[in-house]
Amino acid sequence: MTAAPLIHVVDDDASFRTAIARLLRAAGYQVVLYESGDAFLSQPVSAEDGCILLDVRMPGFTGLDLQNHLNDLDCILPVVFLTGHGDIPTNVRAVKAGAEDFLSKPVAKEKLLEAVERALARCIERREERDQINRLRDLVSKLTPREHEVFSLVVRGKLNKQIAAELGTSERTVKAHRRAVMDKLEVDSLAESVSIAERLGMLSNSAEKN
Amino acid sequence: MYGCSRIKRLWSVWLSGALLLLTMLEATAAEPKRVLLLHSFGRDFAPFSDFAVRFRDELFKQSPDPIDLYESSLMSARFREPTEEGPFVEYLRTLFAERKVDLIVAFAAPAAQFIQRYRPQLFPTTPMLITAVDERRFPNNDGLTANDTIVALKVENSRYFDNIRRLLPETTTIAVVIGDSPLERYWVGEMRREFQQFTGLHFEWLNTLSFNAILKRVAALPPHSAIFYPLLAIDAAGVPHEQERALASVYAAANAPMFSIIDNNFGRGVVGGPMISTQELGRRGAEVAVRILGGVPAASIKTPPLGLGTPLYDGRELRRWNISEARLPPGSIVQFREPSVWQEYRWEIAAAAATLLMLVAIVALLLVERHRRRKAELQSRSRLLEVMHLNRTAAAGALSASISHELNQSLGAIMSNAEAAELLLSATHPDLGQVQEILADIRHADQHAADVIQNLRKLLKRQSVIEAHEFDLNDVIAGSLPILLPEAQNRGVALRTDCSRRALPVLADRTHLQQVILNLAMNGMDAMMGSASQVRTVTIQTALNEGHEVEVAVADSGTGIPAEIMKNIFETFYTTKPQGTGLGLSIARTIVEIYGGKIWAENRAEGGAVFRFTMPLATAQVI
Repeated sequence: MTAAPLIHVVDDDASFRTAIARLLRAAGYQVVLYESGDAFLSQPVSAEDGCILLDVRMPGFTGLDLQNHLNDLDCILPVVFLTGHGDIPTNVRAVKAGAEDFLSKPVAKEKLLEAVERALARCIERREERDQINRLRDLVSKLTPREHEVFSLVVRGKLNKQIAAELGTSERTVKAHRRAVMDKLEVDSLAESVSIAERLGMLSNSAEKN
Repeated sequence: MYGCSRIKRLWSVWLSGALLLLTMLEATAAEPKRVLLLHSFGRDFAPFSDFAVRFRDELFKQSPDPIDLYESSLMSARFREPTEEGPFVEYLRTLFAERKVDLIVAFAAPAAQFIQRYRPQLFPTTPMLITAVDERRFPNNDGLTANDTIVALKVENSRYFDNIRRLLPETTTIAVVIGDSPLERYWVGEMRREFQQFTGLHFEWLNTLSFNAILKRVAALPPHSAIFYPLLAIDAAGVPHEQERALASVYAAANAPMFSIIDNNFGRGVVGGPMISTQELGRRGAEVAVRILGGVPAASIKTPPLGLGTPLYDGRELRRWNISEARLPPGSIVQFREPSVWQEYRWEIAAAAATLLMLVAIVALLLVERHRRRKAELQSRSRLLEVMHLNRTAAAGALSASISHELNQSLGAIMSNAEAAELLLSATHPDLGQVQEILADIRHADQHAADVIQNLRKLLKRQSVIEAHEFDLNDVIAGSLPILLPEAQNRGVALRTDCSRRALPVLADRTHLQQVILNLAMNGMDAMMGSASQVRTVTIQTALNEGHEVEVAVADSGTGIPAEIMKNIFETFYTTKPQGTGLGLSIARTIVEIYGGKIWAENRAEGGAVFRFTMPLATAQVI
């Protein structure tokens, strides 16, 4: 096992911050404390696995504001909300915005740690997914522009003849490009190529272009 | 009294003279009737003088003819030794030689006897009326000529003692105050004889004493004594005494009640009883005189002697000697009844009593009114306290989210700390230093939660009375912040305070002022619900105004108060908020006014509204 997971705690209440940090550290986590959403954002987004324990009610940037902001930043760190006085509308908004959990203070250790563990698992999941996408993106980036064109048409189910017509080239050339693409993407079947395109979001993008 | 009656008498004599003169001037034809009054002991010798006065008055009143009245006095009757009467006879003869006397009126026996002696020389044909004489001096009209008639009185001494014994049944001694002139000697003799029948009574005869000795004696009479005072003209030492003055002296000295037989002494100290009326005797005498002057032969007129009249008592003496009026014989008349205060001032007392009653009634009414008002005030005060409490409860309700957040924050810290400590302690080599830190933090968090609850409890405390204390208003604002700040944070409002560095002592109930500040601050926050987050500010300021009052301002950065709302803003139940009760500002005003302050609202030039209130400074601040 490498370094322990890193838990980011954002809460304006110093005593609570300290207490939760002690508990988490005692439970074997690394903890970083922030007194506000601004303080959290002023730091570069951590690359390490972890999660964010976020107080809903804070002066200035509230927990929900921060959550939305992180979503925009494409942050993979899952958010676990902690609230002193949770009302249902806030709860719903938070969960809709992708909150991993919504806990009420005072929170029992088991519940907290379960939530943290879940969040961490989700984080790993997200990281792995992101890593895989990045790998696929790398593979895709190795395609020449022509190969890329052929690839995007192939995954949309176009026949070689159609592709050749669309690109103004010969069916043979298209076939050669297809082989190169398959090699570069390290796939053996059309289905696999389609899966890559889909995971990279190319299908919807192309559709939009059309 | 004495001088008064003398003047009266002189006045009447003068008046009669004047009347006479007038009559003579007017009626030339009517010859006046000449009447000679002849006194035995002197013109002013009581009781005869009193008889004479009454007689004269009655005569002038009754006579149809003018009366030419002459008075002369024998005087010699006072003396024990016989006196030469020749010159006096001569004087009278000279006086009336040219004037025919129509009637002679002799007062007492000596005068009558004198006239009878000298009648042939002086007034051979003039009729004579004898009066002021006891009937027994001329028994069966013996010694009266055909020209004489008598209007006598009947002295019944014995009857008089019945009166004394009736009034004072325990009387054992009777002191008889009487002088030693021939007349008095006569009476002493008469009375001794008469009094023999009163075996149970001891009589002390003071006729042998000088006047001074008499006074001493009457001052030292044994208990159950009474003084019988028929007459005191000349004492044993031969000194004549003016009747009224002598009576007054005896009265002043006496230690026992005094009785007399003729009513001339009535009102001057005698207790009273059946007495001979001088008035009645005078009236009867004048009646007879008028008849004689009218031509009726004197001897033909027979008048029964005048006895004792209706019993007459002096109320003052009855009271002095403690004689109950119940003992008086039936038909008695009580005079000089000392009017009781009630009798004398009946109307005044009635008016005063009525006024007093009215005042009492008014006072009672006012007291009842006051009681009612106090009760009503207490009731209204307790209702007010109730409403104030409700308002605080409502405020606490509105703040409940903030308060529970605040509490949960502490509880969360405590929980996490405790669990961290558990984890630490379960390690093989626990970090006890950190555990200690944790415990300290738990204590702090716990304290913080307790403070929050304490604050809330104070705010929610139900009061039955206002407890005014002196405290620094700045402390109340500081104490309100833990309640207000979480709420402000929740609403995204910046709450600022700008408090005077000087202490601002005020006299009030701390909770009430906190309530005012909470109401104003919450009101300010409510006013900014529609504003953008960046400009939401509530500022609480305190300041000292000219050293005698404290001013608190709660300003917001909202849209201000519209003019049409401004005038009603402190009215009860006036609200512009959907969830408002219309009580917050009204209660704030009520509270401020209870403690002698003022509250008002205004719009700020830079936008937003400001609510200000003042409170009198509890102790004058030296600037």
